[in-house]
Amino acid sequence: MAAAERRSADERSVVAFCCRECAYAAADASANARTSLPPTVRLVLMPCTGRVSPLHMLSALAEGADGVMVAGCLEGQCHYREGNFNAIDRVAFVQRLLRSVGVEPERCRMFTMSAGEPLKFVAAVKEMDRVIGALPLLERSDVAKAVA
Amino acid sequence: MPLTTRGREILSRVPGGVLHSTTGVGCEIVRHEELCVGCGKCATNCPSGASQRGDLFDVGQLLDAPADSRRGALGGALRRIMRHAPDGPVEVPPRVTTYRTVVYDDEKCLGCGTCARGCPTEAIEARPPKADAAPATAAVPAHATSAVEVRA
Repeated sequence: MAAAERRSADERSVVAFCCRECAYAAADASANARTSLPPTVRLVLMPCTGRVSPLHMLSALAEGADGVMVAGCLEGQCHYREGNFNAIDRVAFVQRLLRSVGVEPERCRMFTMSAGEPLKFVAAVKEMDRVIGALPLLERSDVAKAVA
Repeated sequence: MPLTTRGREILSRVPGGVLHSTTGVGCEIVRHEELCVGCGKCATNCPSGASQRGDLFDVGQLLDAPADSRRGALGGALRRIMRHAPDGPVEVPPRVTTYRTVVYDDEKCLGCGTCARGCPTEAIEARPPKADAAPATAAVPAHATSAVEVRA
């Protein structure tokens, strides 16, 4: 789909990589409380945010997402000890990659929360949706298709 | 040909030790940066400290990588969304371990070829010394001639 056809704001999308132990549990709790999430967000369950690699984030952006958020545990509360610290650094790395090729680094962002904070999760998703909504839609070229 | 780090350390402990001559294998080391995954094995294996894991990453390496490799996949994704050519090298956070450009210092290199043998992606090629290799070994493929065979 050409980027120009996706002008409608309803069609923007945010991919949220959520840690199973905290952010996904928080999302679950927010759904149980019948709090609505912005319709733009797509949740992806991860065993730990340490599993999210730069390739996941960049492929999501290249394949149609306008923003990527990584939601993990609070610092020091990772169930695998340091997975969220790895994720924080990888997100920072992806942001630098994006900046160096002229894409807004805000399209990739890390959030931390605990499992008992569904409202914080909803607030993070809304914040991400607001930031992405303010940015222009991400334009993609089809150069990679010819190569791959 | 310079000494290894350990060699220099031993020499410094020898009273009145003077360096007369040193031996080196003298292979010509050719690095193919587009194949490198930045694992740093060459830096770990290097006896003289000629290869070192850098703190910077050249974004162009992603775009040059072959499309079927992991870096190539990342480069392909980046190519679709990029608005202009990369500005230059980016600083790599400490916990990102693989996306790094290896800094190679020609001056320190012994030409031993240890880096080429340890390289998982065959991004480093150790070519035999030019003087030995002039007419006879020209037809031998470079990967078949390891540093040890050249010495023997």
